[in-house]
Amino acid sequence: MRERFRALDPHLLWAVLALIALGTLTLFSAGRNTPQATIWLKQTLWNGLGMVLMLLLATTDPRRLFRYSFPAYLLGLAALAAVLVVGRKIGGSTRWFMIAGQTFQPSELMKWITLLYVAQRLGSRPADEVGRLELFGAVGLVVFPMLLIQRQPDLGMALSFLPILLLIPLMKGLRARWLLALALLVVVGGFGAWKFGLKPYQKQRVLIFLDPSSDLQGKGYQVNQSRIAIGAGGLIGKGFTSGSQTQLNFLPVKTTDFAFSVWAEERGFLGVLLALGLFGLLLSRILDAARVAHTYAEAYFCAGAAGIFALHLLVNVGMVAGALPNKGMVLPFFSAGGSSTLSFFLALGLIMGILHRARLK
Amino acid sequence: MDPRQQPLLRQRLGVLKVLAWSLVALLVLVYAWLQLVRHGEYRQLALQQAVKVRPIPAPRGLVLDRNGHRLVDNRRALHLVIQREDLPTRPEVVTALAEALVVDPQALARKIQSYRLAGKGRPLVLKENLDEAGIAVAERVRARFPFLSVEVAPRRVYLGDDLAGHVLGYVGEVDEELMKGKPGVFHLGETIGKEGFESAGNDKLKGVDGQKRILVDQLGTEVANFGQIDAAPGRSLFLTLDAGLQKVAQDALGTEAGAVVVLDLRDGGVLALYSSPSYDPNLFLNRLSQDMVDRYLANKVTRPMVNRATQGIYAPGSTFKLLVALAALEKGIISPTTPVYCAGRKNFYGRDFRCDKPTGHGSLSMVQAIAQSCDVYFYELASRMDIDDIHATAEKYGLTERTGIDLPQEKRTRIPSRAWKKKAVPRDPKWYAGETISVGIGQGAVGVTPLGLARFYALLATKGKLLTPHLFYGFRDDQSDHLEPAAFVPPKDTPLDPRHWAILDEGLYEVVRGGTATASALKELTMVGKTGTAQVATFVDRAHYARQAKALKDHALFAGYAPRENPQIAFAVVVENAGFGASSAAPIAKKLVQYWFLDRLQHPLPAPRGKLVDPFAPQQTEAAE
Repeated sequence: MRERFRALDPHLLWAVLALIALGTLTLFSAGRNTPQATIWLKQTLWNGLGMVLMLLLATTDPRRLFRYSFPAYLLGLAALAAVLVVGRKIGGSTRWFMIAGQTFQPSELMKWITLLYVAQRLGSRPADEVGRLELFGAVGLVVFPMLLIQRQPDLGMALSFLPILLLIPLMKGLRARWLLALALLVVVGGFGAWKFGLKPYQKQRVLIFLDPSSDLQGKGYQVNQSRIAIGAGGLIGKGFTSGSQTQLNFLPVKTTDFAFSVWAEERGFLGVLLALGLFGLLLSRILDAARVAHTYAEAYFCAGAAGIFALHLLVNVGMVAGALPNKGMVLPFFSAGGSSTLSFFLALGLIMGILHRARLK
Repeated sequence: MDPRQQPLLRQRLGVLKVLAWSLVALLVLVYAWLQLVRHGEYRQLALQQAVKVRPIPAPRGLVLDRNGHRLVDNRRALHLVIQREDLPTRPEVVTALAEALVVDPQALARKIQSYRLAGKGRPLVLKENLDEAGIAVAERVRARFPFLSVEVAPRRVYLGDDLAGHVLGYVGEVDEELMKGKPGVFHLGETIGKEGFESAGNDKLKGVDGQKRILVDQLGTEVANFGQIDAAPGRSLFLTLDAGLQKVAQDALGTEAGAVVVLDLRDGGVLALYSSPSYDPNLFLNRLSQDMVDRYLANKVTRPMVNRATQGIYAPGSTFKLLVALAALEKGIISPTTPVYCAGRKNFYGRDFRCDKPTGHGSLSMVQAIAQSCDVYFYELASRMDIDDIHATAEKYGLTERTGIDLPQEKRTRIPSRAWKKKAVPRDPKWYAGETISVGIGQGAVGVTPLGLARFYALLATKGKLLTPHLFYGFRDDQSDHLEPAAFVPPKDTPLDPRHWAILDEGLYEVVRGGTATASALKELTMVGKTGTAQVATFVDRAHYARQAKALKDHALFAGYAPRENPQIAFAVVVENAGFGASSAAPIAKKLVQYWFLDRLQHPLPAPRGKLVDPFAPQQTEAAE
């Protein structure tokens, strides 16, 4: 058993434990005096379950997991298709399965499976031997589940698949024409999405982002209240369970999307600095894992994972500060939620396994 | 195949690491901007929406009758309001709100605008006195418009319903017209008395609003109180009114239109003042139902909003003969014993003036003439006097001025004179001697208010003391619940010759003993008074009253005092279109005297109790009686 624990990377482990501690305090404060008073306990259960999974994966040879990535990918696609048919509709979108009284969101896990499978496909040979056709194939593997998810609809989740495409410049380097092509894609894609792909509420979010004061009673209300909470926190914060924005319910959805605003209000800029520093350490350590990985596939997986974590961090922390559109992307270890928590721990377990194997050799 | 041997990959991973830390740094900058640079601004915003200053409405004082029975009480009421700091700004929100509340959007927008300009103070009331159904509606509207709130505020309850509507009046929101006239005196949204004593005694009854600083949550619910300045409730006060006597007056008049006034001869306190038809002030509680008031006011036939006791001008008829007799005595134009012969009619200035008794009274002294209410006798007196003589006497005994009662918009009794006619009838300013003959029997241009008439009979009862009628008796000492009597305007002495007085008193006594009102005599004590039957078709009201058949019947009057030996009360009764004064007005006076001197001591009437059911009334308030 002690052998097993030795598989846990201490740097990652401490960073994660610290972040979980901050997240649990945040949820405790956010849930206080609301019907969700015990949400911190529920989340602790998810965290515990996640850590067990993490431990299991850390002690598993990563190569075995890569071997199962293709069937897992197919299963994932099937699940995404199924959720559209038999999924549970909550708040206008069909994203969840009901399993034993718990909602389960297959897209959370699918993100990591896709990364695993794409990394395995591209990492089977040295980078310069990978042909253009294979790269396009990889793009297709990423875009297909994204399209299924946008059918739910869940733009934030769909966009969180994009960091996987980061693997291409990682392998081939950044070239001017890549950037040009990307710029073109953004313009054409953005126009196309605006014209055909985006739902009215998603368009509204973009508009409100461009001018938050245009809708203070409606959608803009959320971000406006979140900015007030963050700004009112100041340097040292209002104190634990003493944020007026949080405790008087001015702050919306404070246990999920806006959990970080709770932390920022009650712990202030110093607390934000601590949390962001821990996230920085986490990203940094994951990229270290990519550097010491034994195979290309493992290295790609770690790099892609860093990209996914970074995107969640950027979008959520940026969104609650009003610096990015209101996208509904969760913040790892802060936002309450079973599927996302388990998925993040699974990824971390895999990364620890990769680090463990690298250390052993 | 080992990626660790791949320098390009290592290099690119290094770049990614720099990018990761740059991302963290970028976010740190964003938060530094919000939390360090703009902290003050956001802290202010957070405070503004969580810490509110709310006025605490002060309850008005209670109004009790002279025995401490509650006439006006306060109850808890719930209002749907917008606090001043939550007033919506955007026109489409105001329009949607107006739609939800089914009110005129432009009027609402105007109201919101004026409240915004007025700064801090009472909230804008959208719907008042919510009942259970109203609360359900209010909550539904509030779900859509979170800036609305439900305020708890005291509300007036008039326990006697329409027992003393004209005396008490009602309250309402101060209107902007009134505020413009007196800057700084009234505040927007303030509740003030609109009519009756609520209006005249507004300064005595109103309290001073308090203020509290509270912490509210997103729904506007009070979470914590940071401290408050308590509201100072208005002082409770006693009226001189006796609820039992008032009830007797109400019942005696019944469905007839008219007025009853009873004065306390010691101080001029008003023991009863009833105008029929009365109105129930509880109907005017909702300040937005102005149309209710309008509908009442628009009723030109019964005119229930007019206080007939202080605003109704009636030809006094024979009740005026006492003043004519007094003027004649003071002028010395006749000796009280000099007989005047009544043949049932007499010709003055080429016109026939008839007596009530067509066969004539024969030869009468002044006392007999008063007792029999002989018109010819008083025509004779009037013919020997100038109208300005009568006016001068009336002026001397206070009949030409307002009585000064503490009720709003009292009308002045009208005693004609040459100067008056010049002003009032500019197209025919000359006074004709024939007109004086009519005035001699209380007809023609002469018109009195029932209160003014009662005051004149009070003067006769007190041998010449001119009282100032008043309703305010004194404040209530809140510890002991006892009356702290207030100073009243002391009676003014008038130069009434006791010999003259004795003749008038004798005449009034004879009216009840053997004259026109013998049916109204009481065994136990001596009530004295004079009947009056006033023709309706006076020159002001003819056009109006001619429309209705009943309206052409004469008004019946009775005025007097009791007991004769030691007078304690004076009264005036007017019954509109009831015919002969002796048969309809005098019996009402008899009932008043009967109750005041006999029944009251054995079986006082119970305290007034409204039929209004109040869903939020704390039970103790009832029990406190």
